[in-house]
Amino acid sequence: MSTFQYLTEEWRAEAERRLKAELTPDRMNHITSSMSNVYLDCPGGGSKYLLFRFADGALAELALGSGEPPEAEFHITGAYDVFAQISRAEIGAQKALMTGKLKLKGNMIQALKLAAIADRLNKVLAGIPATY
Amino acid sequence: MKTVDPQSPYFIDSPGRVRALQAEMARAGIDVYLGSRLRTLSWLLDTFCPWRSFVVVPAEGPPAAFTFVIDAARVADETWLPEDRVFGFAPMGGQDQIELIADFVKDLLKGKRGRVGIESGMSNYLPEGNLTHYEFERFRDALAPSELVNAHDLVDRLSLVKDAGTIARFREASRIVDVGHAAVFEALRNGGWKGMTETEIAGLAALAMRRAGSEWEWSFTGGNEIASGYRTGLTGGACTPASRRELRSGEPLMVDIHAMFKLGLGDHSHNYLIAPASDRQLWHARNFTDIVALTLETYRAGISPSDLAEKMIGFAESRGFADYMVPGFEHGIGLMGDEWRIGMNDGPFPYWTNPDHRYRENELLICAMQYACPEEAIGFRYENPIVIGKDGCEALSKFPLSVDVIS
Repeated sequence: MSTFQYLTEEWRAEAERRLKAELTPDRMNHITSSMSNVYLDCPGGGSKYLLFRFADGALAELALGSGEPPEAEFHITGAYDVFAQISRAEIGAQKALMTGKLKLKGNMIQALKLAAIADRLNKVLAGIPATY
Repeated sequence: MKTVDPQSPYFIDSPGRVRALQAEMARAGIDVYLGSRLRTLSWLLDTFCPWRSFVVVPAEGPPAAFTFVIDAARVADETWLPEDRVFGFAPMGGQDQIELIADFVKDLLKGKRGRVGIESGMSNYLPEGNLTHYEFERFRDALAPSELVNAHDLVDRLSLVKDAGTIARFREASRIVDVGHAAVFEALRNGGWKGMTETEIAGLAALAMRRAGSEWEWSFTGGNEIASGYRTGLTGGACTPASRRELRSGEPLMVDIHAMFKLGLGDHSHNYLIAPASDRQLWHARNFTDIVALTLETYRAGISPSDLAEKMIGFAESRGFADYMVPGFEHGIGLMGDEWRIGMNDGPFPYWTNPDHRYRENELLICAMQYACPEEAIGFRYENPIVIGKDGCEALSKFPLSVDVIS
């Protein structure tokens, strides 16, 4: 099984393939929303973002970039290392939020409705063999 | 988000209130208003916010509400604000109340700086909700270099005279309280009082009022306040959460019950003597009902709390019962959270009623009197929301004024 360097175009393409295959609109509760992960202190310096956009539960966009993230309903910001720990299932996203390692921007009422869905999404990403 | 019906007798023009506050903010040079008092939350959001909550009012446009996340969806469901203007805060990165609100406020300020109005002060009412010292320091640091200025007087001024919808809500809450009193009377009479406890009376009044539409027995003094025997006559005792004390013959009974209807508050006390009543007890009862009747006749626009107290104590003196009167005849009231202080914070003692406050038409207050004779273990309480009129007042609770002797 090939491994992917975390947050590269190859990793993004694999993530997109897996998300589309494993998360059906039904599993995603037909949500229409967008979320941007903002990775600070990336290897080599600077920050990156990973934008997820869902329309009626289907993944409509998965964009990887650097610098300022595009508009999204939610922004989750944290150090690259923290996101890497989450992807390696060493720490849960909820715990990272509750301990302040990740910061959420967006309406908590909406975020609560999406918490379980975000977990499903993270589990798919955690399944990608990756190097960090 | 609830649908607001302008034709409803209980209609409150919440967007109009926001615009009025924004006009006051502009005059005072306030760029953003950060409200935290329960009275401000009720007045602006028109929903009950029992958890720590805040309202952020920008210079223009709709406000935003912030409350503890466990209650945010319910607040969003009940307020007139759209769902995307209600936020829940929680102990999570970026979502704690200080960071969430400070970020929101900064986005409203040009260049991320300006004058932010806050609510500070003190109160004898515990759930007042002024910004705590800790909150103030944290907001000051998070909003630097913005200036935080105390601006509660803006909301106080605007909420002093009540609109028709607010008064209609109080009128309905008082109607409900009267239903509660009728249920208590029915339960007590013909020996029904025997074996009954104060807590039981509080509960049966609550059940009757809830059946009639009350949302809760809102008073922070323990809901429905019931006192029997010596507890009715505690010196200055105007706070009697119901106890497990059993009613006894030959003793007084004070029934002070509370209902809430759409944040409008009912608050009325009725008093009893459990037979046999002595001549001395009946003398006390007559004194009490006479001074209540005279007080209600005296309230009108233009008089002040000190004018009224002087007249009433003069009357009590002339009848020989001044020793038993607590020299206060009212307390302030407004939508849930607005209690005790009357008028603006402009009296000799900061954050207490100004005794020289001149009542204006459509001010609402609780006519409140405590008659207490501890040495004879007897006392009575009167409370009734009244609307000040040009030539008199409207007592909202219509339960007949009397001290009923129950056998």
